[in-house]
Amino acid sequence: MAESHAVAAPHTPGGGHATVKTYINVAVALAILTAVEVASLYIPGLPNGFLVTILLVMSVLKFTLVVGFFMHLRYDSGIMRALFVGPLIIAIAIILALMALFSAFILLPHTVL
Amino acid sequence: MADHVAGTHAVHDPNLGNTGLDHRKIGMWIFLGSDCMFFGSLIATYLSYKGKSLSGPGPHDVFNIPLTSYSAALLLASSLFMVLALSRLQERRVKAAAFWLFATAAFGLHFVLNQVYEFTTFALREGLTLSTSLFGSTFFVLTGFHGAHVTGGVLWLTILMVLALRGRLDERDYTKVEIAGLYWHFVDIVWIAIFTIVYLIP
Repeated sequence: MAESHAVAAPHTPGGGHATVKTYINVAVALAILTAVEVASLYIPGLPNGFLVTILLVMSVLKFTLVVGFFMHLRYDSGIMRALFVGPLIIAIAIILALMALFSAFILLPHTVL
Repeated sequence: MADHVAGTHAVHDPNLGNTGLDHRKIGMWIFLGSDCMFFGSLIATYLSYKGKSLSGPGPHDVFNIPLTSYSAALLLASSLFMVLALSRLQERRVKAAAFWLFATAAFGLHFVLNQVYEFTTFALREGLTLSTSLFGSTFFVLTGFHGAHVTGGVLWLTILMVLALRGRLDERDYTKVEIAGLYWHFVDIVWIAIFTIVYLIP
């Protein structure tokens, strides 16, 4: 029983993959998001807080698309998700904690300060 | 029971554990999780010292946003090429997979060369080095470690491509290529964060 492990073909059990068409759609979305990100820097008179919010939101979207589709985490086992998302939360907590300790609130809109 | 957990084939695979998941893939995800915390600390250090340099040029005196945007586009495109390589290998089209692995490595190398150009320009033209200011130290350490990761990825992908061309990599080695792909995409997502936090946010 226990010795009858099986070969996953062609990818690991619990895993799945998107189609090539989905990959291309994701790549197009990433390109558009990056273009909007860069273009938003050149819009005159945009409030700093609004600009920072837009940039962070688009960055998070890009991050999620790559991790979810290109890294297949959307289709993978919950264990894989936990192994990545857990440390990611710790990393974000480290960033926020250090910024708080050093009073570095640069990412927040100036109006909040 | 184990048959049900592990899949439909009745061939023993030493890489599958009790969870039915590949050890190598779990190992890579654990590594990527730890690397998240590593880069998280470097980004936190950069942000904590942002705007606190007493001398030297500041970030927006030296950054070349068009060049960095081009580099970001290179890495994003290389991520697409990586999944195409994996997809071709799954279809048993090894030569096509080798081509996409080459394209991924080539774009990665182009990214590294852009970074070398950027660092050289900062040092020679702008007078910004690792020891000039807090900005110089935190910027070069963060982006330098990322560049080192990209360089490692380029070497890894090149080795896989050579193996594929020599007929020593086929669809049975899918997981090996998938793991290299996970590493490569991770390098990409770290750059997504660095590009926004370091370069774009005013």
